[in-house]
Amino acid sequence: MARYHTLFTSFELQGPDELGIPLPRGSSPRRLRPFRSSWLGRIGENQVGPTYLGALGLASIVCGFIAIEIIGLNMWASVDWNVVRFIKMLPFLALEPPSAKQGLSLFPPLEDGGWWLMAGFFLTASILLWWVRMYRRARALGMGTHVCWAFASAIWLYLVLGFIRPILMGSWSEAVPFGVIEHLNWTATFSVRYGNIFYNPFHMLSIVFLYGSTMLFTMHGGTILALTKFGGERETHEITDPGTAMERGSLFWRWTMGFNANFDSVHRWLFTFATLTTLTGGIGILMTGTVVDNWYLWGVKHGIAPQYARIQPIPDSLPPGIMPRLPQLDVRQPELAR
Amino acid sequence: MKSITLAAGAALLAGAAFVLFVPTWEHTPRGTEMSFPQGIQFEPARTWLASNKAPAPLPPAEAGGPMATEAYKNVQVLTDVSAAEFMRTQYAITQWVSPREGCGFCHEGENWASDAKPAKAAARIMMKMTRHLNADWKEHVQPSGVTCYSCHRGQPVPAETWFPQAPMPQRRYVAKRDNWQEAADTVRKFFPDNGWDEWYVGDEPIHVQSDTALPTHRIGAFVVAKRVYEMMMQYSDGIGVNCGYCHNSRAFWDWDESTPQRWTGYNALRLVRDLNNNFLLDVAAAIPQTRQLVRETNLPVIPAQQRGVQQGNGLVVCATCHQGVPQPLNGANMVRDYPALTPAAATAAAR
Repeated sequence: MARYHTLFTSFELQGPDELGIPLPRGSSPRRLRPFRSSWLGRIGENQVGPTYLGALGLASIVCGFIAIEIIGLNMWASVDWNVVRFIKMLPFLALEPPSAKQGLSLFPPLEDGGWWLMAGFFLTASILLWWVRMYRRARALGMGTHVCWAFASAIWLYLVLGFIRPILMGSWSEAVPFGVIEHLNWTATFSVRYGNIFYNPFHMLSIVFLYGSTMLFTMHGGTILALTKFGGERETHEITDPGTAMERGSLFWRWTMGFNANFDSVHRWLFTFATLTTLTGGIGILMTGTVVDNWYLWGVKHGIAPQYARIQPIPDSLPPGIMPRLPQLDVRQPELAR
Repeated sequence: MKSITLAAGAALLAGAAFVLFVPTWEHTPRGTEMSFPQGIQFEPARTWLASNKAPAPLPPAEAGGPMATEAYKNVQVLTDVSAAEFMRTQYAITQWVSPREGCGFCHEGENWASDAKPAKAAARIMMKMTRHLNADWKEHVQPSGVTCYSCHRGQPVPAETWFPQAPMPQRRYVAKRDNWQEAADTVRKFFPDNGWDEWYVGDEPIHVQSDTALPTHRIGAFVVAKRVYEMMMQYSDGIGVNCGYCHNSRAFWDWDESTPQRWTGYNALRLVRDLNNNFLLDVAAAIPQTRQLVRETNLPVIPAQQRGVQQGNGLVVCATCHQGVPQPLNGANMVRDYPALTPAAATAAAR
């Protein structure tokens, strides 16, 4: 009989508040007196708080607030401080990076990317401070720092897009604008400008790890939920002390595909896949425009993409102003190289 | 047990080797039939005002008779047709352009020769333009040809005219934003037209993608790619097709992988430039203020949000004639029935 019916948890623990271990000397105190919410208890833990803000957390939130304010107020100003148009146009409004003529100037005019640079600085500061805060909280609890390194992988992609690659390209104008539709437009244009990013092998890897992550996550989550009635949610316990839950789960995957992860290795798979998604993606972005200008032609050069001969009525010699045809077809496709 | 593992591994390797090496992995051959999916044609949006149906032709004019220049005064453009064909064409133009306003849209009362109304000057420019199109732009408009109805569809101002928007004002400390078409009723029409005049009026080269795998630093700023993208969205929206109708989307720039339609489309860009520079800007000068004409009854009022920076008539883009379909009026050949719209000598009407 299926035990999984809805999104909502079936167990809710009651008891004295969990206040956490004593803080090291010199730490700022935990804030927010804990309270219980049975509504939140339906999807997670029913105890809310206490939380630890600390100097780093506070600095991160302040920097993040400044960044969002700069972006939001610039957008609002661009519709003449009209509230209705601001709401209506919000998906289309943007804070653009400096234009190409500003290069890597640290102090471009405010109306030509100066605000973008400031927003980027504060947003980056906020994210990095949050990373240090996560690292230190993990250390304070005596945990490993795995979550921080997974977060660092995402930060790597963010930094490549908005900081490292623009510096290598010599212009902030190569960076991503802040804005809902505008950053999507940037993505589409970026792919077209650099000759179709789907031929970028690191983009391919990133897609593999992204889709692989979702598949592994649902395989793992599904297996554990399916084993609940045998105690399968006590995963870590079952790593060293296998019970019927782990045996049944392992048998299920061996029967269906001949090989199975175990209760330990599945988490390593998940962590590796998810972390590599943004790590490989960042490498792919970093190589685009810096060492490869047209990924499709790169693919042709290395035999992963085909190339065709021209068909009529497109003339063999095109009028001036049109790109010339490629000088040489790939030798591996001699039948097409007329 | 171990031998089973070895056998399974060997079988797996053999299978992989088979998949890799046995098939020849030839690329799909290409002829005039596309080996990749054609662009998906959109249903014309509901907002296209005109229907894509050609009206029935008027009965043919009697052969012979005097020339128009002998029978009428002040004939400047249709100098190579008979008086009967001239009048028939005039009736057709009224039907196509100003069915509600009638002859008085261009002519001053009963004084047919009078040049008092600015619309008449505009009509002459438009006649020259139509004859120029049919004579000199065969590469794009043949075989169906172009008549006034191709764009006007019974309205004095064609529904899909491009009124270039004023750029957003530059403020002192805040960047100006793209002029998204806030009045648009579909997302595809929402794109800004900031860069359109670089290509629909000017002749900037369209260099977006590199023709070498490795960087040679010959491609311009990133913003050019963005503007070209927006300009191409008008193509796509105006003729109701996707990118794949002309391009192979994996290599947009590559003519070797494009469909023949791209050549037609490329000529269209040159055509649009020609019309805008040599005819439409003149019309804007002939009718400097569309709003001034509004005092007359039955004349169209161009909504404020559509009026452009030049405060006159709009310019043409793909949508002006195509109205959301790859062949305007679905390819109906109207010009066959109106010989006056095709000058006898190929470049007679060319300026």
